[in-house]
Amino acid sequence: MSALLEVRGLKTHFDTRAGMVKAVDGIDFTLDAGEVLGLVGESGSGKTVASFSILGLIDPPGRVVEGSIRFKGEELVGAPVARMRQLRGREIAMVFQDPMMTLTPVLRIETQMVETILAHEKVSKKAARDRAISVLARVGIPSPEDRIRAYPHQFSGGMRQRVAIAIALLHSPALILADEPTTALDVTIQGQIIAEMQKLVAETGTAMVWVSHDLAVVETIADTVAVMYAGRIVEHGPSAEVIGNPAHPYTEGLLNSIPSRTTPGQRLNQIPGMAPSVLHLPPGCPFAPRCRHAIPACATPPPVQYVGAGHMARCLAPLSREVAS
Amino acid sequence: MNVPHVALRDVSKIFTRKPDFAERLAIRLGLPKPPVLRAVDGVSLEVNHGEALGLVGESGCGKSTLGRIVAGVHGKSGGEFRFEGKEEAGWTAEDARRARLDIQMIFQDPMSSLNPRKRIADIIGEAPVVHGMVARADRETAVAELMQEVGLDPGYARRFPHQFSGGQRQRIGIARALAVQPKFLVCDEAVAALDVSIQAQVLNLFMDLRERRGLTYLFISHDLGVIEHLTDRVAIMYLGRIVEVGPTPEIFRKPAHPYTQALLDEAPRVGRGRRVYVPLKGELPSPLAPPPGCRFHTRCPHVMPVCKTTAPDLKPVAPGRIAACHLNDTTEQEE
Repeated sequence: MSALLEVRGLKTHFDTRAGMVKAVDGIDFTLDAGEVLGLVGESGSGKTVASFSILGLIDPPGRVVEGSIRFKGEELVGAPVARMRQLRGREIAMVFQDPMMTLTPVLRIETQMVETILAHEKVSKKAARDRAISVLARVGIPSPEDRIRAYPHQFSGGMRQRVAIAIALLHSPALILADEPTTALDVTIQGQIIAEMQKLVAETGTAMVWVSHDLAVVETIADTVAVMYAGRIVEHGPSAEVIGNPAHPYTEGLLNSIPSRTTPGQRLNQIPGMAPSVLHLPPGCPFAPRCRHAIPACATPPPVQYVGAGHMARCLAPLSREVAS
Repeated sequence: MNVPHVALRDVSKIFTRKPDFAERLAIRLGLPKPPVLRAVDGVSLEVNHGEALGLVGESGCGKSTLGRIVAGVHGKSGGEFRFEGKEEAGWTAEDARRARLDIQMIFQDPMSSLNPRKRIADIIGEAPVVHGMVARADRETAVAELMQEVGLDPGYARRFPHQFSGGQRQRIGIARALAVQPKFLVCDEAVAALDVSIQAQVLNLFMDLRERRGLTYLFISHDLGVIEHLTDRVAIMYLGRIVEVGPTPEIFRKPAHPYTQALLDEAPRVGRGRRVYVPLKGELPSPLAPPPGCRFHTRCPHVMPVCKTTAPDLKPVAPGRIAACHLNDTTEQEE
């Protein structure tokens, strides 16, 4: 069986006055049904642009310049607007960091949810409303029959995010793109949302791309992890492998930057410098200027190397393998 | 005896809204007054010289308000505030000036706390000149030294805040706070908005500064990893009250309050692997109408009848540790 989502050589560039911004510059990954991919990177690494590209939400001056995105075997790059509109919301849903991006403040939750259902399916209003209520119940909103009459501002941040997730689930999509869905929430609420998402993925077999800067969150939910840096995936593999045994120095640096992994009070092993501007990328490895292990040969484009089963790193000299347990 | 750097006793902060015309009329006709928001409700806390104290809690628990009271941004509504042993009510003008200069604040979002129309040299250099710490003629060198200390290139002194990245802006905010030679820094979510690798750089800077200048920190954060790494002691807040205080390593090893336990369980940490969450139910109740008894009882997995009626006091549970939970009165016999 072919994969649910297959992204090959995707390049999304923005033609700005300052020059060509190569926000996503050649990424590949595949996703099977029921699989959760964690897409990790810092601000500006291109992780959000990558997920927007899948949905066909790149506006000028941005453009998918190269590559292919196959969803259930269908090519999405260059697909007609009408076709993308059919897919969006029905087959591929998105959950944003800020639920107010999904919700309009001036309509009741009920109106927004029913409208979403009727946009894709010919069902009665009554049936649509019943489905909306059952989905709200599934994401853990108490007394959904009453709460569906509320406006978004009457919900707390965590509840609003649940509503946004409920809207994403209305059509039981095959793929959910979640862009930092818990970043704006408190830890206890974040825990609740992750628990709901884990349950939903297990129950419905929905595949998910979980975009986040937080490796710890990604580790709890993802099967595979792809680490992005300056528009490219620099490491990709099973999440336990990537996080437990990183092969790319950038992944190692990210992990070492997390305070709870170092003895309290010790200096953190910081990555020096800043992420490069995607306007002026060095010809070789974009991470080389910040890399502890950089050698002169890093000035040439780094090759993709496999360090384990399904575990790749875009690095000339992947970190030596520790004794694998 | 050791005098704490800053000591709070029974400090409260109440926010009220001025009633509008209709409400004033309604109150005069005998209707009840609108509820007041007790953001901080009877908090006692001591921060010792050279110590890093962490303040943890969810949004809306009052941790930022408490930090602002310490930094003098907000006045308190009740209670005592002592700076180096002197109560605020008895301060002379000189005492007040010293306390305000000695305690500086670093904010979460450097973009909204730096004046976008001022150059870095003015942002950093203005306060020490005004307070007579640096002669106007020496301002440039003083600014250059400060920029160097926080890891900025002094050549950028003529630039504006928008020309810097987030991490650099946070360094500007730190340099500005350090310019008046404070002894005490209140850091309100100072690294929350930064990327992991930049966050590590700024945390290292905080640790270096502490060593170099012997600073005292009140470090407010929701990120338990940051708190564990940086602080000696930690105070956990819930709905305006402190529920637990103690040495950081001990609290992280064995919390004495179910809320602390829940926070620790739910903070995702790298290396735990994939796991199924058993999250805490419910949300923070509205601080406008806090639940009676123990404020945590609506979400607590160990709730008992007494929790719904009687608020637990902060009691010692171990040397240097206090917690407010009825469970601590009973569990000792059980375990």
